[in-house]
Amino acid sequence: MLIVEDNELVTGALRILFEETGRRVTVAHSVADAIAKGSKDPPDLLLLDLTLPDGDGLEVAKSLAKRGVEPKATVALTGSDDPESLRRCSDAGVTAVMVKPVPTKELLKRAKEWLA
Amino acid sequence: MSLVTTTHPSGPNSSLESRFASLEALYKQAVAEISDMRGRDALKTQFLANISHDLRTPLTAVITHAEILRDGMLGPLNERQIESIRGIIAGGRQLLEQVGEILTYARGAANQLTLTPSTFSLADVVAQVTRLNESLLAKKRLSLDVRVPPDVPPIFADREKVAHILGNLLGNATDFTPPGGRVWINAKSGRGEVVVEVGDTGIGIAAEHHDFIFEEFAQVDATASRLHHGTGLGLTIALKLVELHRGHIWVESELGGGSRFYFTIPYPEDAQ
Repeated sequence: MLIVEDNELVTGALRILFEETGRRVTVAHSVADAIAKGSKDPPDLLLLDLTLPDGDGLEVAKSLAKRGVEPKATVALTGSDDPESLRRCSDAGVTAVMVKPVPTKELLKRAKEWLA
Repeated sequence: MSLVTTTHPSGPNSSLESRFASLEALYKQAVAEISDMRGRDALKTQFLANISHDLRTPLTAVITHAEILRDGMLGPLNERQIESIRGIIAGGRQLLEQVGEILTYARGAANQLTLTPSTFSLADVVAQVTRLNESLLAKKRLSLDVRVPPDVPPIFADREKVAHILGNLLGNATDFTPPGGRVWINAKSGRGEVVVEVGDTGIGIAAEHHDFIFEEFAQVDATASRLHHGTGLGLTIALKLVELHRGHIWVESELGGGSRFYFTIPYPEDAQ
């Protein structure tokens, strides 16, 4: 799986969470970094922060799709559930939108469902 | 009077003119100062919005790490350790809620809040909000009486924001009512609007403070604010959210006589 989020405190926590459930985790901190890593090693689950230092997180999903990389599930993690963000996510065709902080139990449960 | 004319050889008109000129200069200065202060106020509001947004990210990390430990993902813990970690999570979530409240206030002050309206049953939202407050009410042994008659038609509003208004009013009622008291929520259909009442048998508010409490950061009594924690933004946010819906909010209360807060949400015009 690929976790795209610019804050290392958050990726640190998510990495432990998913590695402990037996997943192989790659972390990217920017749009460019995520596209490079995602193309090289296509993820089955893509977790995307919306605001990244070099642009919009949803660009990662679009660029990867153009390169033929389509994860089983693409999940947007956002700080706020304002209608504008929700609309942009649904336009981009993400599997789910979750507002941070997502309770870990729920995140793991949903991840299992998405990848089933 | 004769003295004035002598000290101003060119006559009384010239004295009036110079006073007028100095008043005009003062007026211009005041206008410039007000505009400067408004600018600074807007900057502070923006700062508040930025900082509360930035506070959320590290808090998210703290809570996630604590949940990983709590669930024993990094090895088993004893009961006392789990209890302590639960405290970290609860504290983190409470902080996150307060930061969210500041963010909502800052967005409201900068007119950046928008409505996402839908048609829904007011009774459902009241039930949702009371469920969230059940444990706090029980802790203070407060009885809660809810009356939303079936003849109240569904409303067209931003469901989440109506829940937020109700949550803030019910939260205050719970905070400011001594143990053993009563809290109630009533709704009734009025002319072109629904009127919701959140009442309590609590400490009450003196008439001279009825406007003041809707101002930001206001808590009537400094000792009360120590007793009743909170950001002091609950009613300011409720007012903003009610106004966004073109409704009204007001209070009926006296010191020691409990409080009844009312707000209205208009029905859409074509439904009237």
